Amino acid sequence: MKRNTMSYKIRQYLMFAGPATLLFCGVVVIPLIYGFYLTFTSWDGISKSKPFVGLTNYITAFGDKAFWVAMGRTLIYSAIAVILVNVVAFLLAYMVTRGIKGQNFFRAGFFIPNLIGGIVLGYVWKFVFNSAFVAIGENLNIGFLKNSWLGTPSGAMACMIIVAVWQYAGYMMLIYVAGFMSVSKSLIEAAQIDGCTQSQATWKVIVPLMRSSFVQCIFLTITRCFMVYDVNLTLTEGGPFNSSVMAAMHVYRTAFTERAFGTGQAEALILFIVCAIVGVTQVYIGRKGEVAA
Amino acid sequence: MYELENAKAARHRKIVNAFMWVVLLVLFIAFIFPFIMSVINAFKANTDINRFPLSLVGPRKGFIFDNFPTAMEKMNFWGVFGNSLIITVSATVLTLLFAGMCAFVVTRNNWVACRLIFALMIASMVIPFQVLMIPIVSIYGGTLNVLNHRLTLILMHTGFSVSMATFMYSGAIKTNIPLELEEAALIDGCTRWQTYWKVVYPLLGPTTATVAIIDAMAFWNDYLLPSLILTNKPLYTIPIATQIFYGSMGGSDMGCVLAALILAMLPILILYLVMQKYIVEGVTSGAVKG
Amino acid sequence: MRKLGFAIATLAVAAMTASPVLAATDLTVFNSKSEIQTQFEEEAAVYSEEKGVNMEVAMSNDPVITHMGTRYSSNNPYVLSMVDAKDIYSLTPEHGIDLADLEAAADTDYAIEIDGKVAALPFCIEARGVMYNKTAIEEITGEDFDPASVATLDDFKALLDKLVEGGMETPVAIMKEDWSLAAHYLAQWVEEQEDPEAYVQALCAGEGDIINNEKFNSLMDTFDVLMEYNYAKDSAVNADRNKSEDMLAWGDVAFMFGGNWDWSLIVQSESDCEMGMMPVPQNTEDGSNTKLVGGGSKYFFIDSSVSEEQQQAAKDFINWFAMDAEGQDFVSNTCALVSPYKSNTLDVSDPLSVSVKAYADAGNLIPNYNFFPDDHITKAGASMQKYLGGEIDRQGLADELTEYWKGATPIEH
Repeated sequence: MKRNTMSYKIRQYLMFAGPATLLFCGVVVIPLIYGFYLTFTSWDGISKSKPFVGLTNYITAFGDKAFWVAMGRTLIYSAIAVILVNVVAFLLAYMVTRGIKGQNFFRAGFFIPNLIGGIVLGYVWKFVFNSAFVAIGENLNIGFLKNSWLGTPSGAMACMIIVAVWQYAGYMMLIYVAGFMSVSKSLIEAAQIDGCTQSQATWKVIVPLMRSSFVQCIFLTITRCFMVYDVNLTLTEGGPFNSSVMAAMHVYRTAFTERAFGTGQAEALILFIVCAIVGVTQVYIGRKGEVAA
Repeated sequence: MYELENAKAARHRKIVNAFMWVVLLVLFIAFIFPFIMSVINAFKANTDINRFPLSLVGPRKGFIFDNFPTAMEKMNFWGVFGNSLIITVSATVLTLLFAGMCAFVVTRNNWVACRLIFALMIASMVIPFQVLMIPIVSIYGGTLNVLNHRLTLILMHTGFSVSMATFMYSGAIKTNIPLELEEAALIDGCTRWQTYWKVVYPLLGPTTATVAIIDAMAFWNDYLLPSLILTNKPLYTIPIATQIFYGSMGGSDMGCVLAALILAMLPILILYLVMQKYIVEGVTSGAVKG
Repeated sequence: MRKLGFAIATLAVAAMTASPVLAATDLTVFNSKSEIQTQFEEEAAVYSEEKGVNMEVAMSNDPVITHMGTRYSSNNPYVLSMVDAKDIYSLTPEHGIDLADLEAAADTDYAIEIDGKVAALPFCIEARGVMYNKTAIEEITGEDFDPASVATLDDFKALLDKLVEGGMETPVAIMKEDWSLAAHYLAQWVEEQEDPEAYVQALCAGEGDIINNEKFNSLMDTFDVLMEYNYAKDSAVNADRNKSEDMLAWGDVAFMFGGNWDWSLIVQSESDCEMGMMPVPQNTEDGSNTKLVGGGSKYFFIDSSVSEEQQQAAKDFINWFAMDAEGQDFVSNTCALVSPYKSNTLDVSDPLSVSVKAYADAGNLIPNYNFFPDDHITKAGASMQKYLGGEIDRQGLADELTEYWKGATPIEH
């Protein structure tokens, strides 16, 4: 069999990656290109005419102060949330792979937050922050619980971060658990025979081999945090006084509430590019020194 | 001497584990606190939910079960449940098949097409969905007219999720599948196709289980995409059907919201608990490293 | 390989056959009033059976324009849509038909006309004002409560003090939602101007002189008093709407600014208190403190691209809704809303709507100004939240509003 001919390569590619490529291009690539075209129009999202306006939308987007404020806020939020999510997730994964009694139960428990979708989740947490915590504060006379945290700008931000940790830690834990478990037992035993304690074996042998888990988890948390919308919408509604409007929410409002569809689309593309740069850089750095298993 | 040290290590380990167990328990309670609140309040009238969120039984209207039948009737529960089930299962299976295959060819070959599609897939994970929603609707609704079919939604779900699934499979293939194994299979006369299905795919069990759960969860809960694709009532999925309980202006029927939340969660919770076992088996069966 | 192919084929077939082949739906209706969705659906089922049409009612929690945008983009418009007045101005010039030949059009004073055509007909009358819990007030004061007795801010404040003395420490609730603060409360300052249209023009030109505007100050004086007696004073920008409504329903507070749509939440509280709605108290003599603000609300329009039979079915429905005894029963009793059609003389069943109907029948409604810019709610709403939270004072609020209006474009009409 000839392995270097073009037709062999094409057949192989189509056989394995054909369906995935087709579907992926159908829902992502082609709509993206069409969406890109829309950024050069002043379409309002409803009307039949889509007048061509050149770069106006990009000029508006770059001059939109509120957009850049939201973008900066998203960066801060993402940085804190990404670190906390991954620290918590890794520690959870470490603790539930040590063979502790009931570890499967814990694994299931920590994953439970992923069983509900973003919209509902925001409502439930709003209820918890607004009603449950406040009621606890009043009953037990705990000062900092008496007023809902959602009422101040920094409190609302903290709530968003808490929910992010709660929402994603279990999910990332699963990936870390898979990473822990894919490291061969014999490697660890070999390390222990060589005189490593268990924690040494963890840090010197397992963790370096889990590099791809780290790359995956950090990438996933970065992208999710960057594009947070559901929870933003139902938990804080952007409030108090628009102090918690994240980039995606700003984009949505521009495009659909203010009906500047072209500008919204242009801002979304900018968000996409910023996010892509951060995410891909992270993967690139992470992958560079990957240890071959 | 050696034994003594061993015993000491074992005792040390026991203490550490006990400590961790307590930490886990505390965290666990914190993690499920919102669910405890949801379950408690799902059995109360709205006035009690709003005013006495912590009480186990509503002081004003007492313990009520009405929220569940009311919610089920209003959202046509069994109908939308069936839709969600068909869509979730089909899309998950397709994602697992297509993404695994795609990851295999992409990871094991350094062809231009492979690098291009992989880069595109990674980049696509950071596209805000809002960018795509109107274009998708105008292309598939306006031009091709294929909205309001479950198959359309299934294929679209698959299209959106293959990128991340490919990414995860690719990581697993790279780290967990020794190249020698594939080479041996080739020498034994397997084609690439056979090698993939007979040698590689069985070793990807843990990743398959993980991807399956994560995607099934995402499909089951997704709101935005189904709400665009399925606009005819008989086709609604659970998340679209529950929106009837949220007022559009911040006031909502909390009792029904919480009841619907629990109803929507139960099936997937059961699935997870079943799959959870499978993940552990898949990982510990020793197949991973030959 | 064969197994896999088979699996995919089976799945595909299963998914295909599972999608029911839809019989041509004659009458698709969009309902943007989510609180009556259940009632509307039930009525649609009965109506379909009686009239031999296939009527299906859908709702969405997305912004109306977003939802309609996706329907138009996919060439799948609703035959009949019920949307907010401001949406009518952006949707109907391109997508609506003239409704002038409907009998119902002659039966109402609230139709929207654009370029000499009847573009839309109203679904109901809604109005905003201060809701009160009569039972709770009378329990403390021991005398009959007449809302007319607290038309001025001074009298209103005196009553609040009396309630406080009587044990109701914080008799007021304020909704923190931006739409309530901006589109409902703050909007009233524009709507009370002698010529709102001209005033908005002046605002856009930067000449509104907000801080010295009599109406602005009068309404903000009242708002200050509401804030002073607010139960959630310490976390005013985070008051939970569900909780506030419940407190009003059970008489833990006596007053809250809102509108008759709040009834859908109050009714969930299942309290027995007697409720009502009154104008916003103000120290003024021009009579604006004896009127609610409101008018026609939620408008029907018919799509121009659907078949003539479908358009006719939609027209028949509007006529039935407005003038048939069953249709009137649906709006007044089932939905407990005030009908904007003169031939409907039924009494409404919800107490807030009773107040609204009384004011409407007496001609005591200040009309809505329907052309606030699309971003007014989020931006002016944020400024009002800052004021409510004590972040800025009245001067600061006026400055922010002046700044906002400078770059604003009202909805074309």
